[in-house]
Amino acid sequence: MSVEISLQDVSLRIGQSEVIRGLSLTVAPGEVLALLGPSGSGKTTLLRLILGFVPPEAGSIRLGPDLVSADGRILRPPEERNLGIVFQDLALWPHLDVHGNLAFGLDARRVPAAERDRRIAEMLARVSLAGTERRYPGELSGGERQRVAIARALVLAPRALLVDEPLSNLDATLRRQLLELFRALLKERGMTAIFVTHDVREAALLSDRIALLERGRIVQSGTWNELRQKPGPLLAALLADLAWGAPS
Amino acid sequence: MDRPLTVFRRHEEQLYLGAAGLVIAVAALLPLLVLCGQLVSSTAPASGPAATLASARIWLLLARSLGVAAAVTALALGVGVPLGFIFARTDAPGRWVAFALHAFPMFVPPFLLALGWFHWFGRQGLLGSETSSRALFSAGGLIAILVATFTPIVTSLAALALSAIDPALEEAARVVARPWRVATRISLGAIRPALALAALIVFALSLSELGVPTFLRVDLYPSAVFARLGGVDYAPGEAVALVLPLLGLALILLVAERRFVGARSFAVLGARAAERFTIPLGRWRVVGALAGLLAAVVGLAPLGALIGRAGLGGFSSVPAWMGGSLWNSLAEASLAASIMTALGIVVGRALARRRRAAAPLDALAMLAFVMPASVLGVGILATWNRSATAAIYGSLAIVVIGWTARYLIVSTRTIAIAVAQSPLHLEEAAAAVGSPFGRRLRRIVMPLHRRGIAAAWLLAFVFCLRDLETVVLFYPAGREPLTVRIFTLEANGPPAAVAALAALQIAVVAGVVAGAGVAQLAARTGPR
Repeated sequence: MSVEISLQDVSLRIGQSEVIRGLSLTVAPGEVLALLGPSGSGKTTLLRLILGFVPPEAGSIRLGPDLVSADGRILRPPEERNLGIVFQDLALWPHLDVHGNLAFGLDARRVPAAERDRRIAEMLARVSLAGTERRYPGELSGGERQRVAIARALVLAPRALLVDEPLSNLDATLRRQLLELFRALLKERGMTAIFVTHDVREAALLSDRIALLERGRIVQSGTWNELRQKPGPLLAALLADLAWGAPS
Repeated sequence: MDRPLTVFRRHEEQLYLGAAGLVIAVAALLPLLVLCGQLVSSTAPASGPAATLASARIWLLLARSLGVAAAVTALALGVGVPLGFIFARTDAPGRWVAFALHAFPMFVPPFLLALGWFHWFGRQGLLGSETSSRALFSAGGLIAILVATFTPIVTSLAALALSAIDPALEEAARVVARPWRVATRISLGAIRPALALAALIVFALSLSELGVPTFLRVDLYPSAVFARLGGVDYAPGEAVALVLPLLGLALILLVAERRFVGARSFAVLGARAAERFTIPLGRWRVVGALAGLLAAVVGLAPLGALIGRAGLGGFSSVPAWMGGSLWNSLAEASLAASIMTALGIVVGRALARRRRAAAPLDALAMLAFVMPASVLGVGILATWNRSATAAIYGSLAIVVIGWTARYLIVSTRTIAIAVAQSPLHLEEAAAAVGSPFGRRLRRIVMPLHRRGIAAAWLLAFVFCLRDLETVVLFYPAGREPLTVRIFTLEANGPPAAVAALAALQIAVVAGVVAGAGVAQLAARTGPR
């Protein structure tokens, strides 16, 4: 079941630097939001706040009606938020095979073995990885590893999916294939998702709405069509970075 | 046609590796080959290896040695892994101080710790009685002392590996599971290669240990080899035969190391290595602190007993009893550590950069480390104890050769781990501007990894300082290191003087380790 993600006046300081500054953001149930911004703009930190790895210094974070973090406190630890995460470096556990990687979360939730194996088989089939259950991450290709990471996040049927630039190291063909897989999986599940990227094309292809993040603040947000009609300075700069122009 | 200088420069890296390989082969491979040659050539049925190995007592001793080594390994893992976890990943108060005190015994010769425990629990010890003495002088006492001595190896490797895990691996698990489950299923699973390495080291050191079983009068296999080379059962031919099963064991350990550890020990710390989560112990913090305190007390107790037993009288007699042994130790260990570090820079770097020629050299160094010290000792005796090489055999050089062979792996692996943390591009950029290999090594690799190189030298130095079991078989007369001096005095020297010498040996190691810690701290906080 998808859930609304809501951040209200969230701030976070790391050392002397204010990484997130009074940020407010709402992602509606079933909406796919692309969080777009240059390196160091606070995108990954924002995901870590939502996941519950760091508490906000000020402000609050809600998942649906649940207040999960507020004013320097984590009210619900990460494992109780029921969120899925695909990390930039995928973070597949090297000592567990593909089945073990997917089973870990299901075992933690005490899903019976038969049910667990059925869900894993279904999920692997959905991402075209049937038959790879006993292979280890080190034995998989780059594209296969990406799909295992996606399957691991989705097999738990999370309330929302957070994705942190998982396609940044892939070639253009593989990236497009995986973007299409992401889009299909999110739409068929009607799942709330936040997709962090610094690539305008990825953001435009995948998301319902784009939020532009700069120095810890949302500086512009809207659909791709709205934004490209009236690009602010940050979007203009990101577009200028694309040597071959923006997606149509 | 290329000029000779150009040809040399083109193959400079291979030449460096070849030179290093030659030194390693002379130090570690030659003794093994000579040993194997002697085993093959001694075929007389009455006195050959078959006759020696036909004795059931020999196999019983070997089984007992293996049993002791296995028990020590299992117990050290059982204690060391939780401790490593408490020190590295929890919020137990005082954990870093407790870790430092707990880790210290691994730099001390185990038989000195046994001597310290004897002054606590021997018949006339501070807490001694007939019962405690019987318990101490038994296989159980031997295992307990070796566990106390070697557990810090497991603790340290587990703590280091837990500190080096990519935080994303644990965060991915924290999203779906509670901290305890993440710790046991993901964190401990991810450090399995480090735990395998720790188990291997503890098993190999326990199997090699000579000083503690001799002191506690527990008959084990290394004692049988030693007795045939320098004791009442003098029979050097039999000693050669006795190392045959140990050679097989060493090869099995080497295969295990290649299979379960190998290149996986070169963990590369991610940029986010400092972001890993700490497990809050909550109301269990007191238990965590007590566990740390207990570990620290066990580490320091033998030293306290030695100082107490030595008293003023013991310390005042130190110069008379010590002779030149401390200076021998320092000079031999410095020289050996310097040679090992130089070899480590060439081989360790090649290993980190996956050069094909480095793998067999690393395997040879690992074999020399995991094989029981008596095998290497007997091999060195067989190789160098002849008239043509008397100048080497009768000098400090033989000790340096023995230590270089035995502990080379310490410096190569330490430097390999340090080099693996930096990208290859840094060296490639220097090569691209025309810098030859030797210059890249001096101007790029060594300055970049100077702390890792210093750590490698220090570790090699301390391992040499604490060594007894390798060098006791072939130290040159009148040039014995301090450990050998204490070992030989222990049987019939004045107990106060022996305790004082033991305390001195421990103080020297403590001074070196503390000095290195201060230097490391100064390097971190000082100007760059």
